[in-house]
Amino acid sequence: MTAFLDHRPKPVRSLSRFLTFALIVVIGASGLTARLFYLQIVDGGRLATLAVHNRTVIEAIQSPRGLIYDRNGRPLVTNVATFVVKLRPSDLPLDERAMVVDRLAALLHMTAPEINANIDGNPGSTFDLVRIAGDVDENTARLIAESGADLPGVQVDVEARRQYTDGPLMSQILGYTGPVSGEQLKALKADGYLPDDLIGKVGLEAQYETELRGVYGTESVERDASGRKTQTLQTLTDARPGDSLHLTIDTREQQYAQKAMTWAMKEVGIKRGVVIVMNPQTGEVLALVSLPTYDNNVFARGISNAAYAKLLKNPDKPLLDHAIQAHYPPGSTYKLVAGTGVLADKKITDKTKIQTRGYLTLGSTRFYDWNHLGFGLCTIYCGFGHSSDTFFFQMAGKLGIDRLGYWAKQYGFGQPTGIDLPGEVAGIVPTNQWKQDALGSKIFPGETYQAGIGQGYDVVTPIQLINAYAALANGGTLRQPQIVHDIVGPDGKVVQPFKPKVIREMKVSASVLKIMRNAARSTVLLRHTYNLVDLPIKVAGKSGTAEFGTRDSKGRLPFHSWFVGFVPKDPRHGSFNNADSQLVVLAFAYDSRTKGNVATEIVKYYLQMHFQIKKDYRLPYLLERGNFYQSN
Amino acid sequence: MGVIRAQPARVSDWAAKSVGAAWRAFDLQLTTYAGLLVAIGLVMAYTNSVEGGSVSLQAATTFSRGLMWAGIAVVVFVVATVFDYHWLKTLAWPIYALQLGLLVLTLAIGDGVGGSARWVSIGPLTFQFSEIAKILMIIVLASYLASREGRLDSLLSLIGACLLVGPPLVLVMLQPDLGTSLVFGAILAGMLWMSGASLRWLAVLAAGVIAMVPIAWTYLLRDYQKARLTDFLNANPDIQGAGFQLHQAQIAVGSGGFIGKGLTNGTQTQGDFLPVQATDFVFATLAEELGFIGGVVLFVLFVLLLWRVLVAGWRSRDAFGTLFAAGVASMVMFQLVVNVGMVLGVMPITGIPLPFVTHGGASLVSMAAGLGILQSINVRQTKAAW
Repeated sequence: MTAFLDHRPKPVRSLSRFLTFALIVVIGASGLTARLFYLQIVDGGRLATLAVHNRTVIEAIQSPRGLIYDRNGRPLVTNVATFVVKLRPSDLPLDERAMVVDRLAALLHMTAPEINANIDGNPGSTFDLVRIAGDVDENTARLIAESGADLPGVQVDVEARRQYTDGPLMSQILGYTGPVSGEQLKALKADGYLPDDLIGKVGLEAQYETELRGVYGTESVERDASGRKTQTLQTLTDARPGDSLHLTIDTREQQYAQKAMTWAMKEVGIKRGVVIVMNPQTGEVLALVSLPTYDNNVFARGISNAAYAKLLKNPDKPLLDHAIQAHYPPGSTYKLVAGTGVLADKKITDKTKIQTRGYLTLGSTRFYDWNHLGFGLCTIYCGFGHSSDTFFFQMAGKLGIDRLGYWAKQYGFGQPTGIDLPGEVAGIVPTNQWKQDALGSKIFPGETYQAGIGQGYDVVTPIQLINAYAALANGGTLRQPQIVHDIVGPDGKVVQPFKPKVIREMKVSASVLKIMRNAARSTVLLRHTYNLVDLPIKVAGKSGTAEFGTRDSKGRLPFHSWFVGFVPKDPRHGSFNNADSQLVVLAFAYDSRTKGNVATEIVKYYLQMHFQIKKDYRLPYLLERGNFYQSN
Repeated sequence: MGVIRAQPARVSDWAAKSVGAAWRAFDLQLTTYAGLLVAIGLVMAYTNSVEGGSVSLQAATTFSRGLMWAGIAVVVFVVATVFDYHWLKTLAWPIYALQLGLLVLTLAIGDGVGGSARWVSIGPLTFQFSEIAKILMIIVLASYLASREGRLDSLLSLIGACLLVGPPLVLVMLQPDLGTSLVFGAILAGMLWMSGASLRWLAVLAAGVIAMVPIAWTYLLRDYQKARLTDFLNANPDIQGAGFQLHQAQIAVGSGGFIGKGLTNGTQTQGDFLPVQATDFVFATLAEELGFIGGVVLFVLFVLLLWRVLVAGWRSRDAFGTLFAAGVASMVMFQLVVNVGMVLGVMPITGIPLPFVTHGGASLVSMAAGLGILQSINVRQTKAAW
């Protein structure tokens, strides 16, 4: 028997191993039961609560952005519905990313690096939507929306986009909206900004972002596992639409101003220029043109990297508002400061006659008058009217640099005007203290001479310069220029009515400013500005020729041209004895190098259009290239 | 009372036996438990196909597809029961070739998510051959080990078994399907254990596998697989990323409570918060809608089923039957623990279906084939040992 068993194959069955196996089954099932018990009975209440929370998420309801109108109620920007392609990076498997990006690039006419940059520049988490392209045409949007399976993580949303009625005409004023950047988002997340949100980037869109945006509402939304909205359950707080802006800008005046500037630019090939029109009594800006400019609709649609780089590379800086974001030497227009100063400080009266010459000598340096001859014995009317440099060298000398600086600051130079546009620069008013701080030495007497005629260290923004002449024209109130007239709520009620704002009442008597207004009128009467006097309206003003940069082969400096003029309330019969002007106009032509003062011609052209003067007084020959000094 | 000793089974016995005797040996319990599990699976498929209150029996819905697969499974089960399992031993090598062929085919023409190759489309149906490969693996391994009866505690038997499992395991790994390759490992371990392999060599093998883990981690696992595994170990997983399903599943289970929310009332699973609720996460739906009681009923059914499988193995007079039962039991046990454990957050996400319950067609059909063969083994023993 034993032998028989020995020869039998060893049995496979082993009771101990069977029982061990069975034990493992029981232990496994018990373990699972215990875990199930823990989750459902012990921890069940907490998880049940979580389940309810999880089902609904709070999402933002975007508020319609406020609109912008010109002073006559003409809409300058509207909101239009567009298709936007967005991507949720967490839903895009890594190994499919290249394929998806390539496919999107082909569909959206973008490059793969652009799309990758958008994905990687995502300011939120990988679970937040990233904007890939805005303003996608309907066919492409439909194509993308329907190929969901081939484009994981990609979705098409309908979104309101800004449509700027006039494009480039108003770009410098209105600015544009664009995707919020990562840095901005960090600062603004608490204010309800979303990672795929739009925000005002520049111009009024940025300046009045808070008002225009309104307040986003909240709603509870049921979403599925991939974060898609399945249904809206409840609106928790209503979105409050943004306020609308009614501007001081008059579209027609803006068109006139741009037309005048564009004419001169085309005529002689000037690259940059500014025209500003203001009401000196209120500080309202009627037109503000800075050329070259750009089309803000291109930005609103989502500008390509290439187009943006091209704008950045343009040496004439189309993205810069030259009226407020850049400063230039003011040239002879700055003689207003010295003239006002010597009269107010009683260094001279309007009867005082000053000997003007071909040049003044200071040490071994000659300071020439612009015509190298002088104008003989001159009162302030003659000195300002002929724009005599030697007259104003002496006036600056009488005042000294610090007093000159005082009066410059009275006129608002050296500090931003506070116009309601972002990025304004301050300009420079040279004083002893300023030079000590900036350059470590005192002002030399020659530098005081230069400062008196707006050359040297002093630089101004066009908005500062026109504002100074506005103060002259209105009798000594330096006002804050304003672009927004009033802010109107979504219900049509005025939230913030227009109120002229005063920077300061100048510490100068009315009689001094009356003298200076008449001195400005004599500039026109003396035909320093050629036939401006022949216009059927009365204009007073001051031209300026501001040298800058480096001398050419003939030892001549390139120069900018300025003109600031104002017109009495009654343009035909009014008097500059009164401070009732309601129109002040500035033109600035960068690097003009024209035979005559091109800025005067621009202002003349603008005034012709504004007052609908049929006869054309423009003198195109003055716009020929040449040297102002030698031709005069 | 005279006890009739069991005789070694022979092919010729079958013809001699009456149909009645064969029916008595047929394990009705085993079939009943399996049937109940499939029924639970169908109920879950039904509750998942009810959306927004509208019941539909459209061809595309989960439920009707489940019904269709259940029908196919019944046919497969009957055929496997009638088929004499002894032939499987004879056909072991062709079966092995078939298994490898199916897996290679899957790699060649299979579809899947994110560049993987797991499903093969046959007409309107998609089929996961790796599910069939599991059952084929059990047949091949049982045949091999049975052929080495008497030398099963030798190192050579153990190495031979490992060499047999190696190629299919690698092919599945390449798809890549980590879960199924782990099932292959579990089948191998369970069958070696029941074959009476030497404990010493089993320990050496286990040590070897553990030593392989760092290498597999570095060279074999893909990033998403690692993410799933590390996420499981992470105490505060990224609930928006890889840990999303896990987190949602636990919320679903936990919110079910003692008696559940009732069929079709699961807000978590019905609200589509839980992805793939119809397949690998079906237990989450069950636990949310039928509660703790439903879960326990499911576990009890599995334990009873496993018990009957082990009994079938014990009753078998030949080594093949015993080992085949061991393989099926190992597979069911492993998949149960890993699948449910995954839903309960105590096992990593590996994509292993819950046997019988998950509506995935191939899984159910291969389980039906396995149980059919077990019944074939049952009815072809002359007399019950127990």
